[in-house]
Amino acid sequence: MAYMLQQLLTSSAARFPEREAVWARGRSITYRELETRSNQLAHLLQQCGVKKGDRVGLFFPKCVESVISMFAVLKAGGVYVPLDPQAPVERIGYIIGNCGIKVLITQDERRRSLDLATRESLARCVVIDQATESGNGTGVLPWSALSDYPASHPPLVTLTETDLAYILYTSGSTGRPKGVMLSHQNALTFVEWCAVKFQITHEDRLSNHAPLHFDLSVFDVYNAIEAGATVYLITEELALFPTTLAKFIENHKISVWYSVPSALVLLLLHADLKAEKLANLRTILFAGEVFPMKYLKQLAELLPDVELDNLYGPTETNVCTFYKVDRGRLASMDKLPIGIACENTEVFAVNDRDEIVTSPGESGELYVRGPSVTCGYWGDIEKTNKMVIPNRFQKNFEEKMYRTGDIVTLAEDGNYYFVGRRDSMIKSRGYRIELGEIECALLSHPGVREAAAIAIADNLVGNRIKAIVAAHVAESVKAAELQQHCATRIPKYMIPELIEFRESLPKTSTGKVDRVQLSRESQEGVAVTQ
Amino acid sequence: MSTAKEASVKDQLRQFILEELASAKGISQFSDDESLMENGVIDSLGVFRLVTFLEENFGVRVGDEEITADNLQSVDTIEQLVVRKSKK
Repeated sequence: MAYMLQQLLTSSAARFPEREAVWARGRSITYRELETRSNQLAHLLQQCGVKKGDRVGLFFPKCVESVISMFAVLKAGGVYVPLDPQAPVERIGYIIGNCGIKVLITQDERRRSLDLATRESLARCVVIDQATESGNGTGVLPWSALSDYPASHPPLVTLTETDLAYILYTSGSTGRPKGVMLSHQNALTFVEWCAVKFQITHEDRLSNHAPLHFDLSVFDVYNAIEAGATVYLITEELALFPTTLAKFIENHKISVWYSVPSALVLLLLHADLKAEKLANLRTILFAGEVFPMKYLKQLAELLPDVELDNLYGPTETNVCTFYKVDRGRLASMDKLPIGIACENTEVFAVNDRDEIVTSPGESGELYVRGPSVTCGYWGDIEKTNKMVIPNRFQKNFEEKMYRTGDIVTLAEDGNYYFVGRRDSMIKSRGYRIELGEIECALLSHPGVREAAAIAIADNLVGNRIKAIVAAHVAESVKAAELQQHCATRIPKYMIPELIEFRESLPKTSTGKVDRVQLSRESQEGVAVTQ
Repeated sequence: MSTAKEASVKDQLRQFILEELASAKGISQFSDDESLMENGVIDSLGVFRLVTFLEENFGVRVGDEEITADNLQSVDTIEQLVVRKSKK
């Protein structure tokens, strides 16, 4: 039985050495190659000083080297931190400093794009391309150095399933991203459930649509490797063009697809999907945001033989509930449930009276317990203690549970339905966005006195972001200037699309910015212009 | 005549991409041959806003199968697409 993620690879490489493990950008590697290359890189990382528990950053666009690097870091006993290749360098620099990354796997050009202080904080960089001459000698190692290291076995490190495997950074309400720490056990609890639930075999071909810093990719990569299947990494550019993407699914005979609903909606609306062309596609999983029912019904009709499953769960638990779409009921449904708990996971809703919700129709905040729950946020004990809290319903021994912040309703049939958030976190294209982080970015501009970010519901992407800003001096700042300012601090998907200027922002009786009123005005504004 | 017309297509394209797409991403400049996908100017919604603009502004019809990276890569390739479609 595997208790470490890298054991999934070693076991599949022994069974299927010549099968394709990973395909990306027209290149593929076999299980044998993935196993030996990751062994070599693990030794090299150890040589670079990576010890048990050390964080190693992965900062380059998706390619076969991404998967080699993930396994290599694990084999070296380290913790990998996938960094968004499209994020502003300031944010990357923050994350590198926040979790103390000393060794970075990257491309030479990207390494150079980092600010001096960040570059100097790194002990070593391994570049997946060739290091330029001036890069050599300053702790930069080229990928070709791998061949100097043993391929037949990984380094010897003593680890247990409770050791960390990776850290995923998500939006933080206080203006800085926070690192969710996930252990091997956290990941394997989910991966092993999926393996059985979705019957993944070595003949499957899994797509990987989500970026690697996004938790959906955990299924794509590890479930493919667990089964001896092939994972096809979809680059950001490819994901933009629905017809090209549909051809990709067809040509590579993808059998299992997992993505945010908005990616499926784009395919549905613009790719002229035909069931006969997607004959190999057997299962579609989606997660990350609410699937608009209108489009889900169309998709179900278009692909009558494909199993559709709604997976739900914050990064802190990966996935904790699921709902298999019941085609018999779908036509009469106006809302899709998030479903029931996955195996080896318990979920329950807690109402305002601090009681566990047991009667149908009642709502409460969703809590999760079990081995999939994160041990917390890197370097932030305060935040961890707020979200990963002692389970007060467990009287016999001490254990933790995770409060999701999601309000759910329990239905007659035992399924939970998502209702909304307790706080100001929103989803757009499946990305978690803390409106507070956007407000901090706006307020950091010297010309801004007050700022509020609000979400405007959108059928295609979930939410669009609008900001309402009051400047110190009226008309002294322009929208484009603020958007450029934001671009240096937050990822592009968080930058407000619309910025409205006002003299001052409406306040609640307690003196806080009245987001509710602003939202209402904006939704009405949208309704009028439509 | 032809050069003047092509230049104006390009100007309109640049202006639309800058004001409607790039600036909301915090990007203030890009060259005509730069990949608008790689620099993050165009995202999945941007693709369709751009196509709507091409259809409304230049009176061309862009089919779903023409919405590809090859056609929409850069200001240069988008211009070529518009010119090609206008001749038909």
